Amino acid sequence: MARFCIIGERIHFISPVIREAMLARDPGPVIQRAKEQLDAGADYLDVNIGPAESGGEELMKWAVRLLQDEFNNVPLCLDTANSKAIEAGISVYDRSRGKPIVNSADAGERIANIDLAADNDAIVLALCSKAGVPADNDERMLYCQELLERGMERGMDPEDMWFDPLFLVIKGMQEKLPDVLEAIRMLSDMGLKTTGGLSNISNGMPKQIRPIMDSAMIAMAMQSGLTSAIINPCDQRMMETIKSCDVIRGNILYADSYLEV
Amino acid sequence: MANVFEKQVFASSIGTLEIGTGEQRLVIGGGNTWPLYAFDGEPDAAAATPGTAPATAAAPAPGTDAAAAAPAAAATAAAAATQKSTSLLCSAAPPRVGLQISDLGSEGLDAAVASFYADCADVPAMAVKAAAVPGVEFIALAFDGANPAGANKAVEECVALAQAVAQVCPLPLVVAGSGNSEKDSALFEKIAEALEGENVLFVSAKEENYKAVGAAVALAWNQKLAAESAVDINLAKQLNLLLGQLGVKNESLAMNVGCAVAGYGFEYVVSTMERVKSTALTQADASLQMPIITPVGADAWNVKESLAEEADYPQWGPREERGIQMEVVTAAACLAAGSDAVILLHPTAATTIATLVELLIIGGSPGKSDLPGFNLKGGE
Repeated sequence: MARFCIIGERIHFISPVIREAMLARDPGPVIQRAKEQLDAGADYLDVNIGPAESGGEELMKWAVRLLQDEFNNVPLCLDTANSKAIEAGISVYDRSRGKPIVNSADAGERIANIDLAADNDAIVLALCSKAGVPADNDERMLYCQELLERGMERGMDPEDMWFDPLFLVIKGMQEKLPDVLEAIRMLSDMGLKTTGGLSNISNGMPKQIRPIMDSAMIAMAMQSGLTSAIINPCDQRMMETIKSCDVIRGNILYADSYLEV
Repeated sequence: MANVFEKQVFASSIGTLEIGTGEQRLVIGGGNTWPLYAFDGEPDAAAATPGTAPATAAAPAPGTDAAAAAPAAAATAAAAATQKSTSLLCSAAPPRVGLQISDLGSEGLDAAVASFYADCADVPAMAVKAAAVPGVEFIALAFDGANPAGANKAVEECVALAQAVAQVCPLPLVVAGSGNSEKDSALFEKIAEALEGENVLFVSAKEENYKAVGAAVALAWNQKLAAESAVDINLAKQLNLLLGQLGVKNESLAMNVGCAVAGYGFEYVVSTMERVKSTALTQADASLQMPIITPVGADAWNVKESLAEEADYPQWGPREERGIQMEVVTAAACLAAGSDAVILLHPTAATTIATLVELLIIGGSPGKSDLPGFNLKGGE
């Protein structure tokens, strides 16, 4: 098994600092957030430029060039509802350290992003949903099937399709969490890779509780077969949990200093 | 239907370690295939030819103008290309064979080994004779005499000997310790200083002395260092990580992951080496990608099969032959499990292993090898 893949989530348009920096094309804050995440152990960096309805293409190109130039072609996850902006980002992307990730496709309106990934030899995050939250795992697996078929018809290697079961929020949908873990198990049993925005589960919880809940969730999800997550790598408890789970699952070899690597 | 042979190469590769200088330069390790699976590797003439650096070969000699040098460089490149397409060379350096001598001279060696050096007046003379043994690519000088429990030689005396040996030895040098971690720290520091620029490999830094040895040998004097772990893969990784945190570059490190003699817990050695290579290649674990160097000789000559006199066990045959066999089978098994270099004691064992490497990896033909060794009468 490969080591768990950590996608750093902190370059996000919703953050006022990042939004301001992106609109002003100010490299400082973006580079600082990237560095913090890479120092903390992120493998990929998510680059969320918001809906980016106008000027998205130029903005994504700017961000991709900025981060790859500064950080030795760090692999990136291109995150926006604007497909053209993702394509523009890929056009200037250096894949020497990993394929670009298209964030994201679903079985509904955004299914064409599968084609975008297939055409550009990219990885795609495929959400097991169509419109809103799937009612149960039968529905999740149906969408998974649709997405998988679409990708394979267009020549994608299933390895490049990372399925997102949708990590639902505990406050309000607590009874759905066992379903999420079961979905990961089913996807994993099919030999598929999985990912998702894991920290959504602790949304609305007190600040000091979130790392505890997120860490417990990621441990259980990794045991169910989760191969990647979009998280905050600066959450030390979470990173320690991931590395420990990677050791227990045999994905990395133990050494006394394993947490420092 | 014809067989299709799928090549099994990994995205990650084993690092290389260079010891010696100039024409003596020797590359240990490299490659992205399982040990000895040369048939899976990409042909690469340069890495597999001892002492030939392509950059050196193609560089214009001093005094020649660039225009005159260009055809020569082109010819060299063409020759390399031809060799590349016709040979079975692997991108890894072939496993390396070294011969070990002792600072105690003949007294530091088993009598069966010492007889080979009977005509040598001193230790430097032994180094010269050892270096002339067919197939030997480096010399290991062990400071058995520095052990406080033994002769307890002074550091200065050892340094003088190391210098004398380095001066006459035509092959890259490996310096092995006394067996006492504390003494080795002091000894290695001074020898590393005295042999500055010689690019010597020191075996080994251990858990007890890695800080002092790493700082002195690798950082202060820019020599090469092997980290020793006694058949403990987690410790092997940990030592490499700690040396890395100290500032020692991976390119300066080798690993001595421990040895045992065939029949004496050797399966643990095999398992450790195999897991090291597997982790390095399949999990891309940079902290285990250093080449492995294994001192085999001392262990092999220290078991009953090698020590028992023929007078006591007449049915076992001559003692010297048994010792050589223990060295050969153990070393060959170490290479198969993942060692990138072995250090041996008996010259016949060294030549035999070098012949094995030539036939398996470099692509020699049975009976046509320049190296004496096995009874190589294939096809007869």
